[in-house]
Amino acid sequence: MACLSTSGRVVCGSRRQQTHKLLYQLLGSRPGYTAPSAATGLFSPPKVQQQAMRLCHGLSFSMGKDYPDLLQSPHKCSQSLQYSQSSKANLRQHSSVHTQQPAGPVREFQIDPYIILDDDLKYFYDDVRYLLKSGTSQPELDTIASYYFDGQGKALRPMVTMLMAKAINYHLNNESHQLVHKQRQIALFSEMVHSASLVHDDVIDQSDFRRGKPSVNALWNHKKVTMAGDYILSIASIMIARLRSDDVTIVLSQILTDLVQGEFMQLGSRETENERFAHYLTKTYRKTASLIANALKATAVIAQADDNVAEVAFQYGRNIGLAFQLVDDMLDFVSSTEQMGKPTAADLKLGLATAPVLFACEKMSIGYASKVASRRRNDDVFMVPAVKYPELNPMVMRRFSEPGDVERAFELVHKSHGLEQTRFLAKKHCNEAIRLAQELTESPYQKGLQVVADLVINRMK
Amino acid sequence: MAMYRASGLRIMQQLRRRIPAELQPLQVVKAAPALQTFTSQRWTSTTTTSGKHASPQVTTPPPRHDWNRAVSEAERIVGYPTSFLSLRWLLSDEIANVALHLRKLVGSAHPLMKTAKHLLYNGKNTMQAWGLIVLLVSKAAGHAPSVPDVEQDKSAGVLHSQRALAEVTEMIRISHLVHNSVVNLQSSTQAGQDVDTYDDMSFGNKIGLLTGDYLLGHSSAELANLRNQEVVELISSAVRDFSESEFIGERDEQNNPLPYKPGTFQRPSLSVGVDFNEHDVMTPMPIAQVLGNPEEEWECRNILNAGSLLGKSCQASLKLAGQSEELQRHAYRFGKHLALAWQACLDAEPFQCPQLPLDVTFSLVSAPVLFHLEHDPGMYSQLEAGKQSVDNIDYDKIHKAILAGPALAKTKELQRKHTAAALAVLQHFPATDARQALENIILAMQDL
Repeated sequence: MACLSTSGRVVCGSRRQQTHKLLYQLLGSRPGYTAPSAATGLFSPPKVQQQAMRLCHGLSFSMGKDYPDLLQSPHKCSQSLQYSQSSKANLRQHSSVHTQQPAGPVREFQIDPYIILDDDLKYFYDDVRYLLKSGTSQPELDTIASYYFDGQGKALRPMVTMLMAKAINYHLNNESHQLVHKQRQIALFSEMVHSASLVHDDVIDQSDFRRGKPSVNALWNHKKVTMAGDYILSIASIMIARLRSDDVTIVLSQILTDLVQGEFMQLGSRETENERFAHYLTKTYRKTASLIANALKATAVIAQADDNVAEVAFQYGRNIGLAFQLVDDMLDFVSSTEQMGKPTAADLKLGLATAPVLFACEKMSIGYASKVASRRRNDDVFMVPAVKYPELNPMVMRRFSEPGDVERAFELVHKSHGLEQTRFLAKKHCNEAIRLAQELTESPYQKGLQVVADLVINRMK
Repeated sequence: MAMYRASGLRIMQQLRRRIPAELQPLQVVKAAPALQTFTSQRWTSTTTTSGKHASPQVTTPPPRHDWNRAVSEAERIVGYPTSFLSLRWLLSDEIANVALHLRKLVGSAHPLMKTAKHLLYNGKNTMQAWGLIVLLVSKAAGHAPSVPDVEQDKSAGVLHSQRALAEVTEMIRISHLVHNSVVNLQSSTQAGQDVDTYDDMSFGNKIGLLTGDYLLGHSSAELANLRNQEVVELISSAVRDFSESEFIGERDEQNNPLPYKPGTFQRPSLSVGVDFNEHDVMTPMPIAQVLGNPEEEWECRNILNAGSLLGKSCQASLKLAGQSEELQRHAYRFGKHLALAWQACLDAEPFQCPQLPLDVTFSLVSAPVLFHLEHDPGMYSQLEAGKQSVDNIDYDKIHKAILAGPALAKTKELQRKHTAAALAVLQHFPATDARQALENIILAMQDL
């Protein structure tokens, strides 16, 4: 309990033990009483039991034993989805009656970043749409450009950006409204650049659906869609230029060059087998993590934080971004189309070999992967002898272009440990992110940053 | 200067190596003479050229206004082979990759190939002129005494930041051209249904889109490094104007513009020109006010399409030099009028010969067509054939009709109007060799 109240989270490595400990304490059970039965037992008062259940659920995905279940039973996934919704409702209840709740670790543990940032995120998409509308006199351009700002996205980037911004402001003891407003513009920028890249990706990939609705290229002239992407970028750049900070503009412009370079990396697949994983990670950094890392760094720069704090923000964002994409690549194999709002195995169909495939290939030694991904030691998962499928190699080289390649690769990835190893790598990045967040002064936002790491690793869509 | 010259040559050599073999004949044959004239002039002029002294060739303008000569003179004045300014980006690894991929597209009908050839060579060297104009305007205006010495390129009389801006101008322009080469592959269109070429087209779109994005990304990085947020704002708004220009009016399946049906706009539209709000770059061009008036509508379309970038770049360049707001506005107007004069000249070109040359078409919103529609609204019925694709239009017939009417004369008038306006604005700049070079370019353009 004490450990929870100080860190606001459970350390992943020993999470199972801590969960058990937590359950004992919550339920007031005797030592020796086993945790699983405690969770299902009916003897405790309903309220306490409910909380215990919630904690148990929230943590369950990070336990190794649940992972195979997760892969095999979509039913369980949907349960957890429903569950997380009800958890939000519960939290609202809590906050409205919080004076009656015992002050303490339980509530802190449940910090929901989306709720503590409600003020900043509530009208977020309205503001983007207003901005896009004010920059053009052409209604069709406005319609295409605003299409993905319908509020249906996860808004992960703006949420993390605002969390970091406020955690840094607290850290620096400077929480002026003016500063927060500027940082919110940076959050707007991150979401706008992300959407602009989605719009251009849609023209490149020719996929028909995104986020559960027809993609822009299915609805409009591809030339106009291309221009709409450029338009979003130009409006975002004008907005940032108006912050009148040279350094912020420089930091954020790095995002754009990285994004394009990442796309170019995705075109080529000539690397040797050993280089492939490094190539994949660099590509992932440029395409996904750079945006989050640099946006977070920009919030530090505009708050005039010193280089160390800016570096913490950057590295936190980089780790969260890498973890996010690794989980995304994993979900591409395990999620159903309805959950993702886009077709699954989409990467294979596009000819892309992501982490799960690379892990399943033979020559790619896992020890090497860990060296690339992180400089930390004690990677116990690498004790597990992995099942390797060298026959994937030629498929990777020909970008899964022959008939049956996609299906066969999909099957082999599931047979191998590729998915688990991808997840493990993602988790390591999340742990690193949590460690970095702890370098900032403790605050609800700083705790929120740690919760985000859990959300990223446990997300189902 | 020696460094620039050397880099120009090196760039050319490297380019030759990187460009797909299929494109080489065109490259070597067409570009080599330009290279020769360029190098010989460079070498001979090295000793005589120094910052302020105008060489004899400049003080006695060429008897006939020769375009190529005017451009080479101007390039010498700013001490930079600007013909290669727009090609420097071709040397990055990403673009080397693109060149490899382009090879697969050679022989396909993807418009990207046409754009690529056009960029490497075009008849009147106009592609390269934009960065040059920005540099000449920069030199003509000079810079405020407050600008520190280290930021100046003494021999050429412009700031390093202004050079970077000139390069950004060209990158943004090319990125727009490249993005405009994307083919609409919606399944409802002809191009989308053609199974044979679908893969080629789709791949060409991918390369075109990424190349354009690469240029945009790099321009934004270069812009950021200028450390002047007003400049970033202004140039970003020019990118906005480019994308807006592709949405105006009716379009065929491939987004080629079609004129409005005569009589669409009942109320008398403004006949005074409209322009951007000087105080807020975010405000878009109020084009709705002028639709239906052929001259004003043409002007607005082409400000968005060309004048905005050139004008705003000239303006931004003076911002970098710490010049007054007033001179900045003059620079904007100069760039705008020059771009419009140039566009009018291009619009008139297909109508210079009595018979439309084979394989030549013209835009249906070019000045001659718009003027002719005003004169004879009945011609619109022939243009309606282009609703699905402008290729279905009988260009020969329209060409004849336009030549028989007053439209070409009006277009020439339009060009003269903007030429005169550009020359008039130029009088606000001190008399220098750079200003003289700008005048020569404008006069040469008139004779094209």
